[in-house]
Amino acid sequence: MFLRFVSQSIRRSPRRKAMTVAAVAMGAAVATAMLGVMLDIGDRVSRELRSLGANLMVTPKARSLPVEIGGISYRPVSAADYIPEAQIVRIKSTFWQLNITGFAPILNAAAPLGGLDVPVEGVWFRRRLRGADGSTLEAGLRTVSGAWKVDGRWIDDGDRNDSAVDAMVGGAVARRLGLRPGGAVQLFGQPFTVAGIISTGGDEEDRIFVRLEVLQRLVNRAGQVDAVQVGALTKPEDEFARKNPAKMTPKEYDRWYCTPYISSIAHQIEEVLPMAVARPIWRVADNEGKVLGKIRGLMLLISLAALVSAGLTVWSVMATTVLERRGEIGIMQATGASNGLVAALFSAEVALEGAAGGLIGSWAGLLLAGWVGRTVFQTPLEIPGMLGPVVVGAAVIASVAGAAQPLRRALLLEPAVTLRGGE
Amino acid sequence: MFWDFVIRAVRFRKRRLTLAFAALAVAATLATALFSVYSDIDRKMRVQFRGYGANIVISPAAGAQTVPLAAVALAERQGAVAAPFIYAVGSLKGEPVVVAGIDFRRAGPLTSYWRVDGARVGGPGECLAGSSAAAHFHLQIGQKLDLEGAPCTLRGIVASGGAEDAQVMVPLESAAQLANLHDAASLVQVRADGERLAQVQTALAQALPGADVRVLHAVAETEANVVLKIRSTLFLLTALVLVITTLCVTSNFSALVLERSQEIGILKAIGAAEKKIAALFLSESLILGLASTAAGYAGGLLVAWWIGRQIFPESAGAGVGVNYGVFLPVAGVTLAVAGGATLAAAARIWRIKPAVILRGE
Repeated sequence: MFLRFVSQSIRRSPRRKAMTVAAVAMGAAVATAMLGVMLDIGDRVSRELRSLGANLMVTPKARSLPVEIGGISYRPVSAADYIPEAQIVRIKSTFWQLNITGFAPILNAAAPLGGLDVPVEGVWFRRRLRGADGSTLEAGLRTVSGAWKVDGRWIDDGDRNDSAVDAMVGGAVARRLGLRPGGAVQLFGQPFTVAGIISTGGDEEDRIFVRLEVLQRLVNRAGQVDAVQVGALTKPEDEFARKNPAKMTPKEYDRWYCTPYISSIAHQIEEVLPMAVARPIWRVADNEGKVLGKIRGLMLLISLAALVSAGLTVWSVMATTVLERRGEIGIMQATGASNGLVAALFSAEVALEGAAGGLIGSWAGLLLAGWVGRTVFQTPLEIPGMLGPVVVGAAVIASVAGAAQPLRRALLLEPAVTLRGGE
Repeated sequence: MFWDFVIRAVRFRKRRLTLAFAALAVAATLATALFSVYSDIDRKMRVQFRGYGANIVISPAAGAQTVPLAAVALAERQGAVAAPFIYAVGSLKGEPVVVAGIDFRRAGPLTSYWRVDGARVGGPGECLAGSSAAAHFHLQIGQKLDLEGAPCTLRGIVASGGAEDAQVMVPLESAAQLANLHDAASLVQVRADGERLAQVQTALAQALPGADVRVLHAVAETEANVVLKIRSTLFLLTALVLVITTLCVTSNFSALVLERSQEIGILKAIGAAEKKIAALFLSESLILGLASTAAGYAGGLLVAWWIGRQIFPESAGAGVGVNYGVFLPVAGVTLAVAGGATLAAAARIWRIKPAVILRGE
């Protein structure tokens, strides 16, 4: 009987019901789309910001202070200060390995060229490695510095090869020496082929890049690197992150350790590479946090505004439908239905409509959020699966809440008054 | 007589109309707020990227060792922030160390990311030290540094994660004396606004043929890229909200007419012209639309102002994200849609047969 009443009520005026459901669906769609975009935009932008280059620099625990201007060292580096190349891959075995988007080892040297000393860096360009768990991973300059422009080609160094003699030359060096892709350059008494000319605008333009193992062989430093650049996705620093980990309680320390702050990632890198110190490059790390914080905050507030208005819309639509059916309520009361029964009948109907609208709306909202993600970021957004059910639940609650007040008012009135058409 | 009728109709259906008004006002609020935020998100996001420091570096071209100091004035005339830097190898406690000469006042906006313990600015006879250098030489703030050729008092310790960490930073003039430079610097860093970047670079390159004027692609492109993506996201979301709002308004106003078939029947039965009835409904809708737009506009500006104050407090004073110009588009859309929806539904007025409606079918 109860179910028949509800189903008949819906069947009797399908057009009006459809409009109600559609209104709820629109509110739910706005809410879902906004939330979907909001929840993932931080990650997306974070990845975009990685094109600024590494945000962590790992260097040996130096016993001597580097005296370096523009990549040229004015004092021979102590032979004891180095990071073993074989251990670098451990960076990818830290707790936050998935947040580390790339790392690149570097060995510094300088070679006289055209009357000036030119810094030469031995690097991995893009190296395929086997991780500790057998998975393959990529590392090297190209995983850290996304924004480099290359005239010519990148060196492909997927595998070790210490006899390949190609080099990538910085734009400023190339201009000074008149080098072109395909040309030749003499380094450490050995001829190198210029594979590509790099233009970044930064000090990379004053340098020459060769394969790590080639430089190691030429300067007799087999298995050694001077620094590792690391690019990591981090959580913007907050008050908590600035606390000194040494003074934290064990509980705070755990929380700090298990949050991808730049400082905790640096700490974990130092744990796996005890001979090194990892320092945030604040120019990148600090601003990344600031920019991300702004974007997250902005999206949060916009979604909040959208959420409130979606809720109010659903609420007002439901209040309207009940308001229109006061006559019906009067008749039901007059024919002997108890207030509780009427309330139950109407709530069930409203909740059903809310659920239907919420379902359609959250489905449409997810599609829309996906569309925004694909249009703007070219990759689909990663939206938590909980979002849909949560929105449906919220739609039902908003619907019932909207219907509650006019329903109560109608029930309190004498049926005779309602049926006469009074307030 | 006509307006009397409209006013009475509004007053009699107060509750129903209040709800319609609320729904519309909320939608208009959201549209206004989003428009407002969207309209100057570009400028606000670009301000955030200022913290990345220089996006142009002027360095000595082939053959030269220095950049003329005049480059700073040139860049400043272009409306950019610029600061000269001098690098030299000095000696402290008998060990070589890189001494950086910095015009602290000018460099301030370019080095906002420095983590500084103590003072950020060194006056004459004062200096700052990088964190590695300070640790290496066991330096403490307030200590006298016996830097060869430029003894100074240590005022602050800088951590940047970059080359600065291993340097001792002194005022530009001291470093110029140390390096024996006159009206010249090792390099000049420039921060130009993202939109004018190419223009500033071209102007500087033309004026300084003896120097290499380079745009830091990573900074410039990331800034342009992120700003564009945030703007497009907001644009799409705003468009989405607008479309959904329109649909909501349409259905709301159609309903306002449709549910009054009986009334229309009575009006027709007592001899009202269809046109007159349609005009009645239309003016009612427009009054409602106008009222809710005004309320939504006020509410939306308030929301936009609140968002602006919460997220971008540093641009306070400059209107904080409130864009008064959004009233016209919002009002235009709301009224056009309200009118259109009413008229579309009003087509029924001609089809309604009083006898049928009043019999209750």
